Amino acid sequence: MATVDLTSLDNTIEDGKHRAPLVLGGMDYADVTDAVAGVWEKKQPAIWWPIFGVALSLTLVFGALIGHLFFKGVGVWGNNNPTYWAFDIVNFVFWVGIGHAGTLISAILFLFRQHWRTSINRAAEAMTIFAVICAATFPGIHIGRIWVFYWLFPVPTEHLAMWPNFRSPLLWDVFAVGTYATTSLLFWYMGMVPDLATFRDRSKSKIGQFVYGLLSLGWTGSARNWHRYETAYTILAALATPLVLSVHTVVSFDFAVSQLPGWHTTIFPPYFVAGAIFSGFAMVVTLLVPVRKLYGLENLITIRHLENMNKIIMATGLMVGTAYTIELFIAAYSGVGNEQFAFYNRAFGNFGWAYFIMFTCNVFIPQLFWIKWCRTTPWFMVIVCIFVNIGMWFERFVILMTLCRDFLPGSWFYYRPTYVDLMMLIGSFGLFFTLFLLFCRYLPVIAMSEVKNVIPHDNHGHHGDEHAAHPATNH
Amino acid sequence: MAHSHSKTSKPAGPKSKTIGLLAQFDNQESLVAACERARDSGYQKFDAYSPFPVHGIDPAMGIRRTKLPFFVLAIGMTGCVIALIMQYYTNAVDWTKIFPGYAFYISGKPLELSPASIPVTFEVIILSSAFATFFGMWIFNQLPRFANPLHRIARFKRATNDRFFLMIEADDAKYDTNRTRQQFEEWGATAVEHVDEDLTDQEIPKFFKLAALVGLFLLLVPPVMIFRSYGGTNRHPRLHVVPDMDWQDKYKPQQVSPNIGTEKEPVYLYADDRAMRAPLNGTIARGDLQEDDRFFRGYEPGTLPPPAPKTADQSAAETFVSVRGPNAQDGAPAGQDPATGQYPGEPDWVDSFPAPFQVDEKTLARGQQRFEIYCSVCHGYDGNGNGRVNQRALALAATGQAQWTTAKSLHDPAVKVQPVGRIFDTISNGRNSMGPYRSQIPVEDRWAITLYVKALQETGIQPATGATPPQQ
Repeated sequence: MATVDLTSLDNTIEDGKHRAPLVLGGMDYADVTDAVAGVWEKKQPAIWWPIFGVALSLTLVFGALIGHLFFKGVGVWGNNNPTYWAFDIVNFVFWVGIGHAGTLISAILFLFRQHWRTSINRAAEAMTIFAVICAATFPGIHIGRIWVFYWLFPVPTEHLAMWPNFRSPLLWDVFAVGTYATTSLLFWYMGMVPDLATFRDRSKSKIGQFVYGLLSLGWTGSARNWHRYETAYTILAALATPLVLSVHTVVSFDFAVSQLPGWHTTIFPPYFVAGAIFSGFAMVVTLLVPVRKLYGLENLITIRHLENMNKIIMATGLMVGTAYTIELFIAAYSGVGNEQFAFYNRAFGNFGWAYFIMFTCNVFIPQLFWIKWCRTTPWFMVIVCIFVNIGMWFERFVILMTLCRDFLPGSWFYYRPTYVDLMMLIGSFGLFFTLFLLFCRYLPVIAMSEVKNVIPHDNHGHHGDEHAAHPATNH
Repeated sequence: MAHSHSKTSKPAGPKSKTIGLLAQFDNQESLVAACERARDSGYQKFDAYSPFPVHGIDPAMGIRRTKLPFFVLAIGMTGCVIALIMQYYTNAVDWTKIFPGYAFYISGKPLELSPASIPVTFEVIILSSAFATFFGMWIFNQLPRFANPLHRIARFKRATNDRFFLMIEADDAKYDTNRTRQQFEEWGATAVEHVDEDLTDQEIPKFFKLAALVGLFLLLVPPVMIFRSYGGTNRHPRLHVVPDMDWQDKYKPQQVSPNIGTEKEPVYLYADDRAMRAPLNGTIARGDLQEDDRFFRGYEPGTLPPPAPKTADQSAAETFVSVRGPNAQDGAPAGQDPATGQYPGEPDWVDSFPAPFQVDEKTLARGQQRFEIYCSVCHGYDGNGNGRVNQRALALAATGQAQWTTAKSLHDPAVKVQPVGRIFDTISNGRNSMGPYRSQIPVEDRWAITLYVKALQETGIQPATGATPPQQ
């Protein structure tokens, strides 16, 4: 592998004469395979084990608390009149939002022929799946009588002549999140099959050959198979694109369809989708910076990738900031006392501190990305992105805490989470990181077949031919 | 590689079959060129293998566009229809016998399909299309296929890494081992190899068949057990995995008053030892106020004579048993005072049907129908007092097996002169040996029966009037 020269770092300038390489270091096909499979073949970096240990412990705490919740009931949470929804839905919306970046990278950027996505889409899709698992846990466990969870679905029952209410946004949520999880899983797995076949062919152990052989479904890389595979991939991308926009729209309907001041607004769907992409990209950057460092994938996940993502973070951050401002304006302009109070209370009421955190982390801190150094320095961007995710969690918290001061001042209430609430939030991060670490350990973290498609054909020192940035796919 | 057995390392014996000839190429350009030449040479059954989709190989090989998008479209549209039917059926149709829907109004949204049906319909379209795409792609590709002779070739492992392969199948009409090999070399192949299918261990082992049979049999055991316990009887109560709220710490009617003392010296919370509390005297249930004496009791308001002094036993009984009507007790029939038309000791009975009861054909027909259900058994269809029960009871009484007071003929002059209020009172509270029908017959129906009785009395005992049902 060649060393990174400084000119190739300055690679976001697309001037027509000089196409920026998507992969640095003059890697050829075998180099890509070696680099990506090396993550799985070589011993894990020493730090993997302590991080995994902590994440797994938190997952176990999460599981234990879920058991506690099942046996004691949802009263172990701090939810109470009038704050019937609290951490459970805050965490749900937060995690679903995180997932959106993965689908955006894998589907929307694919449809827009953004070939730089190839190095990061696998990890981002994996992140989507794991975030949706964390997200689905919270509404799954909050239903109280967990043993009749199947009442969420339209299942015919022998004794209970009842069906879900298809006119309720909460039921739409079941369908939207269920479809999203399923489609993301199919998309992720389908994209991974050719790479799993590479693992199958490289595996030294019997178990590896068997498991990866089973997972790769006997993939040979036949041109006839590739043809249908690519068609299917494009169709799935075309399906996932409206889907991802619909999911957070439906999530926002949980609030917007209700008749509450501060919630019943038409700006919620676009504002939620922008916020979801914002937090999701922040999470992708947070995950990929350490991954590229630890596994030596700097030539595949380049500064250009990170910079592009930071630009998206900045853009969506500005959208979110605009939405916050418009919300305030519309409340003031509406002339409706309840609406004005809801927003005044958000900003200066008992949870004003949360509003301050939200606004600072989501609107002000990402502005640092206007400075080139800030958006191209890995350790610094991770800090900004962590702030973004804190801010986005607080955004949902702020929206939910509108409930604390409802129409009846007699029932006003200052919500306080219990230790179960807090540990479940932390525990869900444990689950997320456990799954992600296992993914790094056992599955191809970068879509090898897609990267090979965008690197120059004969990358053996003399490159720069016009095929360097061939379309990722042939349609 | 233990499994690899290429032509060079292990010649194909009689127990193997040649699948085709595999050529390796080092870059995608030579693969595309070779594909073009293979196609131009007239080969039909050949395939290229590459670690990624090679640009331009579809026209080079003559691959026709897949029909997958049409398949997905069809399934997606089916999903749309299913979603719409599902939502309509489950939320708007509740008259079916099996698995009925559940139609109820909520948040002002219509039961039928409305904009609220869009999100679920959309998601179902996406979900069904995604399944169609994913599974359709694998089915069209004839995957999964785990036993592929190509996987036994060591060199072929680079097909998922950095090399490109072209295989011409032995089934192809133009295939000839030597000529094809020669062509491969002309087209720039860096290596050419036979692909053989090992036929030696294609038989399913005997033990496997036996194990499969036993496994299938064992699989039948749980459903049979479930079926047995589902349809059979059991002396033990049914297993209650999740109690929901079926058992609660609370006291129900008919239970003993809570013991607030000890086990040995019980002290019951209520002196009467009952957990249930009786309503206070004078408590009236919602909807039972019934203030209108004319309509509900059949007499002019304020004309009820003061009740006779009761014995202590009667008073106690009446604490729990609702108050009976003024003429409920058996005894000699009260006679009409011919001078005043009044009944001594009785209230002023109403002489006409009180509002809101309406006298018309409809209520008369209703009265006839109710009369024939409740009254005709004793009083007879035509009201002559000789109903079926009366006939049978008299027959039994003749042999001393029963005691029976002959049912009154409604055409009896003493009955005919009675005001409607008194007849209504008789139906409601009974008279002499006749029991009260207050609790069986709603008040409107009692007035309807009264109307029919009056009609019967007007027509007299004349079967031709229609008051008598067809002969049986």
